[in-house]
Amino acid sequence: MDTIGSLILIFISAALINNFVLHYFVGICPFLGVSRRIDTAFGMGCAVTFVIAIAATLSWIFTYFILRPGAPLPGWVWTQLGGDPAVTINLSVLSYIVYIFVIASSVQFVEMYVRRFFPPLYKSFGVFLPLITTNCAILFACLLIMQNLADPKALWGLHQALALAVGGGVGFTIAIVLMAGIREELDLADVPRPLRGAGVALVVAGILAMAFMGFTGMDKGIETAFSSLLK
Amino acid sequence: MLTPITVTLAATTLGSIAVGMGWVLGWANRTFHVEVDPKVDAILAALPGANCGGCGYVGCSDYAEAVARGEAPISLCPPGGAGTAAALASIMGVEVGETLPYRAVIHCSATLQQRLKRTAYRGEPTCAAANLVAGVQGCTYGCLGLGDCMRACDYDAIEVVDGLARIDYRKCIGCKACAKACPRNIISMVPFKADRIMIVGCSNKDFGPVVKEVCSIGCIGCKACTKATDLFTMKDNLPVLDYDRYDPAAVNMQPAIDKCPMESLVYVGKPSRQDLAAVAAEDLPNRVEADFKTTVDDTEWRG
Repeated sequence: MDTIGSLILIFISAALINNFVLHYFVGICPFLGVSRRIDTAFGMGCAVTFVIAIAATLSWIFTYFILRPGAPLPGWVWTQLGGDPAVTINLSVLSYIVYIFVIASSVQFVEMYVRRFFPPLYKSFGVFLPLITTNCAILFACLLIMQNLADPKALWGLHQALALAVGGGVGFTIAIVLMAGIREELDLADVPRPLRGAGVALVVAGILAMAFMGFTGMDKGIETAFSSLLK
Repeated sequence: MLTPITVTLAATTLGSIAVGMGWVLGWANRTFHVEVDPKVDAILAALPGANCGGCGYVGCSDYAEAVARGEAPISLCPPGGAGTAAALASIMGVEVGETLPYRAVIHCSATLQQRLKRTAYRGEPTCAAANLVAGVQGCTYGCLGLGDCMRACDYDAIEVVDGLARIDYRKCIGCKACAKACPRNIISMVPFKADRIMIVGCSNKDFGPVVKEVCSIGCIGCKACTKATDLFTMKDNLPVLDYDRYDPAAVNMQPAIDKCPMESLVYVGKPSRQDLAAVAAEDLPNRVEADFKTTVDDTEWRG
């Protein structure tokens, strides 16, 4: 597989096959909370995609240079202090706290930036941007990237991390917009009283997740298609 | 040997990341600073913050922005009333006009016994449902007494007694929620120039004989009140009181009340001395008021 092919595969895998919301069940809170109307759901999806890309870039930089086992920066400090270069310094215990840190501050930064330069966007995002800070889909993307940086033999580059992050964000947008479309129709349906609101939303989310199971195995097909294309 | 080194490295890493991020955010805060009109904050602080929508805007902050832009008049806030209007006027530097508190009134004054031709209704206990069924009660205009307005009221100001909804004007803030909820549209908003004002307590647009069949106190459209005072005009067999000219302090409405053969002209608001004297001997039942700090439960148990 060439690089472009693997990037496309990572993207499609994160967006559809292993959809963050409907396969891993992360980011459920905004998925249920902000999926009442299609336009706000799309706004939330775009905001998440934006933040996830920034957070993934930052967390890739931190993981690659500082946190992963045998990272260059602490290793350099270690040898400067007169330590044995053969010893691997492993700071991956810090990953969670650093990721949360990175996500929170990048969300803050994005909020200030958008408020200054895109006031209408800020007005429509308003409530959602601070909410994204606690969106587990973003932390999940960072942790997936960390997993792929743990093995020194198969290190991911920034481009692969970005493909995963943007794919995940697009997948989140697809899921939340689909959900919002269904829920808009659901408002007109005669739902039994005990199931109204969150109950029927969860049932619909489950059915949607089952539908997304249909994408399983699609990666093999795409891989075959790519390899036959290259021949 | 390795552990203290790792710990030191971890602490240094986190510390430097914290300092770096803090510096970036501080820089961004200064660079991307946005000037917010201080008037909006001041207006928002002066508003009651009920977010009732009585002004016609989405919420208090939306109204505050509209006022600060000069697009909305300062007197639209029903819960705030004259006090808020004065506060907004001093913030915006404009003159206060006269603002009257608009309160909901129910244009029906017949209790369950006075409404005739009623049949037992065992359907969904809401006015909206009962209104779809023919023959629940003879009068197709009057109050159904199933309390849709009571449930719509966020301020606990409406109560159904003897099958007739009644408004507690000590609690009503004029948010129009009941007027929107009433399926028969017999609740309207009226300017209260005094604590006690007159309203037309009937909504029946039929002719006299038809009204007499369905209600023992309903307006028969005899026009007697229009002859007693010129404040009334007839519309659809009902007198309409001109609230622009009606001033409870200046106009004596007693001739009109004396002329009315039914009991369709009623006073609402604060009871008069005579009213209080009339019921002074009666025992008041012990009232149980809902404690909103502990009980938030609008479940309707229907067995």
